[in-house]
Amino acid sequence: MTSRSDLTEAARSGTPQGPLRVLLVPPLYGGSLPVARFCGRALAGMGHMVETFEAPDFHGAFSALKGLRVTSERLTHLENAFLGVISQAILAKVETFEPDLVLALAQAPLGAQALRRLRRDGVPTAMWFVEDWRVFTYWRAYAPLYDFFAVIQEDPFLGELAAAGQPNALYLPLAADPQFHRPLDLTPGERRTWGAQVGFMGAGYPNRRAAFRRLAHHDFKIWGTEWEGDAALARRVQMRGRRVSPEECVKIFNATLVNLNLHSSVQADNPVPPGDFVNPRTFELAACGAFQLVDRRGLMDDLFWSDELATFQTLEELDERIAYFLEHPEERLEYARRGRERVLADHTYTHRMAALLAFVAQRRPGWPAPRKSARALDGLPEPLRAQVVELLDRLGLGADTTFDDLVWAVRQRQGELTEVETAVLFLDEWRRQYGAKPAEPS
Amino acid sequence: MQEPRSDQLPAHGRKHLVVQLARFGDLVQTKRLLATLAARPEAEVHLAVDRSLAGLAALLFPGVRVHALAAHAQGQADPGQALAENMPAFAALRGAGFHEVYNLNYSGLNFALSTLFDPAIVRGHRMENGQRLSGPWARMALRWTRQRRFAGLNLVDYWAELADDPLPPGMVNPVARRGGGGVGLVLAGRNARRSLPPRTLALLAGAVVQGTGASRVVLLGSRAERAAAKELLALMPRALRDMTRDMVGATDWRGLLDALDGLDALLTPDTGTMHLAAHLGVPVHAFFLSSAWCFETGPYGLGHRVWQADMDCAPCLETSPCPIGTRCARAFSGRDLLRHLAGNPAFETPEGLTGYVSAFDPLGLTFRAVLGPDPEAERRRQFRTLMAGVLGRPMPGVVDPELAREFLPEEDWMLPGAAKPHTTMEFLDFQEKVQA
Repeated sequence: MTSRSDLTEAARSGTPQGPLRVLLVPPLYGGSLPVARFCGRALAGMGHMVETFEAPDFHGAFSALKGLRVTSERLTHLENAFLGVISQAILAKVETFEPDLVLALAQAPLGAQALRRLRRDGVPTAMWFVEDWRVFTYWRAYAPLYDFFAVIQEDPFLGELAAAGQPNALYLPLAADPQFHRPLDLTPGERRTWGAQVGFMGAGYPNRRAAFRRLAHHDFKIWGTEWEGDAALARRVQMRGRRVSPEECVKIFNATLVNLNLHSSVQADNPVPPGDFVNPRTFELAACGAFQLVDRRGLMDDLFWSDELATFQTLEELDERIAYFLEHPEERLEYARRGRERVLADHTYTHRMAALLAFVAQRRPGWPAPRKSARALDGLPEPLRAQVVELLDRLGLGADTTFDDLVWAVRQRQGELTEVETAVLFLDEWRRQYGAKPAEPS
Repeated sequence: MQEPRSDQLPAHGRKHLVVQLARFGDLVQTKRLLATLAARPEAEVHLAVDRSLAGLAALLFPGVRVHALAAHAQGQADPGQALAENMPAFAALRGAGFHEVYNLNYSGLNFALSTLFDPAIVRGHRMENGQRLSGPWARMALRWTRQRRFAGLNLVDYWAELADDPLPPGMVNPVARRGGGGVGLVLAGRNARRSLPPRTLALLAGAVVQGTGASRVVLLGSRAERAAAKELLALMPRALRDMTRDMVGATDWRGLLDALDGLDALLTPDTGTMHLAAHLGVPVHAFFLSSAWCFETGPYGLGHRVWQADMDCAPCLETSPCPIGTRCARAFSGRDLLRHLAGNPAFETPEGLTGYVSAFDPLGLTFRAVLGPDPEAERRRQFRTLMAGVLGRPMPGVVDPELAREFLPEEDWMLPGAAKPHTTMEFLDFQEKVQA
């Protein structure tokens, strides 16, 4: 297992050289889906080839099974069979894409049989388990099947994982995507629509309902779902409690003077629950340069200095600090500025992906396995060579990109392709069909 | 069963492209599709072929605009150079503004080439978002290749059915008639195992000349068969040799067409030249063995005969070594076949062979056994009945539900066939036709 200090060291020392091929497996649905998207963007931004298995596309069919009105035994069988198909699809992607790493996010539909197959075939697998290990316990069955298991909590979870047979567990806290979570220049109209003195964006968990009933005296807006049935909060809930898009979230964060960030709990009797992991909203708010009041968490001190986040530990303290910070805008701005700087310096998804890849490199000697593909430009005659140079540039790929990676990048292009793009695919197929070997790497 | 198509129907007066990157015989067998497209009012039909076949394509399909591509590796060792040559053609194809593209071959080059076009207009095989995809009709064809003894359509009809409105099969080639020009003899096909040895060919030629009363024999083939031609001539009885003209390796495409035109009969294995003869209406006497199966690639049109080697292992795969030394070839030198071809009524049904004549049904070309057994005739009828329903041209007859399930598996109707909104409509249309 790896602690925070190990993680930092690994990230410094062991970043693998050259672009990797990463197959990203998000879940069919749920909270880790946007995390998967941010991971993909970060990896691509780092110059890696990222292929995403679009599991959410299968969600509709899976939901349809639920409406069959058949016996539960039959439904279970069908659901298993359906997930088996998805696993097979992932294996097919692996076969075609030949990734250096399969990165799954929590609840990714990668079955035990598929994981065993990948291990047998020597394909490294990692899961970023962005769940509370005490609430979601399926890690007990699946964590040992992954080669690497990143989690958002430390001990005792790391010890539990080791005991369960997962020797390569990694503490990897959540993060923000500064391309997405960023300060916005909102219009006055947008500020009116999305802003308030005090705001909260998130689902109506019991502890939050209990806590926010005490804040009715503030100019307070609540955004998000699952707030219905609470008369005390009904007039605070915006847009009839509809789902708020990630883009709208960023507007809310930017437009609100005091953003509340209360970690969720199903227990109403303790509105400010004790807990260790830090939720993604903490990083996202900070990255937006927005001011937040967040409940203190066990792992927060290792992620932010005390002058980078304004925190509270009780509802009384929350109420007092809301009033204080509403009266001291300059302090809000200072917290927000420092919080944003800290996220940009240490807590982006790029940092997380770099740490994960370094960890894998550290724990798996010889990884990634060298590829034999020649550079894309090798052996091309002019003027085709010049056109491919232009294509590489347009695709954001370096001149050292291998031919195989260029083919993969072109295959991800949609619609009608240009002549040179088609030429790349044609050349690939030609070599497959007639066995012409590309030149050796120079 | 419909393929992905443009939203703007009908397709009359539009530009169509057929991509046929395979060999000589395949090019000729594209005729029904090309004729279908050309028959549409004010249609402009384009054809992309390997450059080695561009001249032939221009001769065969004079109204069609031919695009020559470097798609075959022969004589082109440097793929980069081939690509450089192809770039202008790619640009021309991409800029032509086609309304429909018929991409016929299940080949990587075809998949790659399809990316020049909006995937929605490509029928047959396409690459979409980097994923190789085949339309429902093409997938059906891949399915029936697992049951070749009784399943499958003639290749000419399979390709034509990619269009919505295939021309009636009888309008493709003229009915074969003797032209008085003697007998042509094709020495070998591209696949050596499908060809007969010179000694057998000498016997067959002699028998057919006797049976037809012909006074002239023409040997046809490529340069690679020149030695075989010499061997064949040496094996011929003198009288036969004296009436034989060796044109092997001596004809260009125009010359080959001229040599075929007006023949009384063409003796041939499954070859491109055979399809050319059918194109001209020359009666074909074809010898199908090994992997050649007349129900798939038999000569198109009425008036042709096929002698089909029919061992239990037929049709085999050309790529797999034959464990019995291509024993199916022996039947072609049997006494009874030679007697039959020579017009001698004193013969028994040749063992290991079935004699077929070409015929049409609503799906297109089929073959009817006239000599020897056809044990798969009933299952073939059921298969064709099933496919006719799929294509919206119902044929009477009962189909075994087990056979139907084999060709209409659950995934065809339970899972989406393509990532396109119109797929559902496509399925409903297909279902209605099946039920009808």
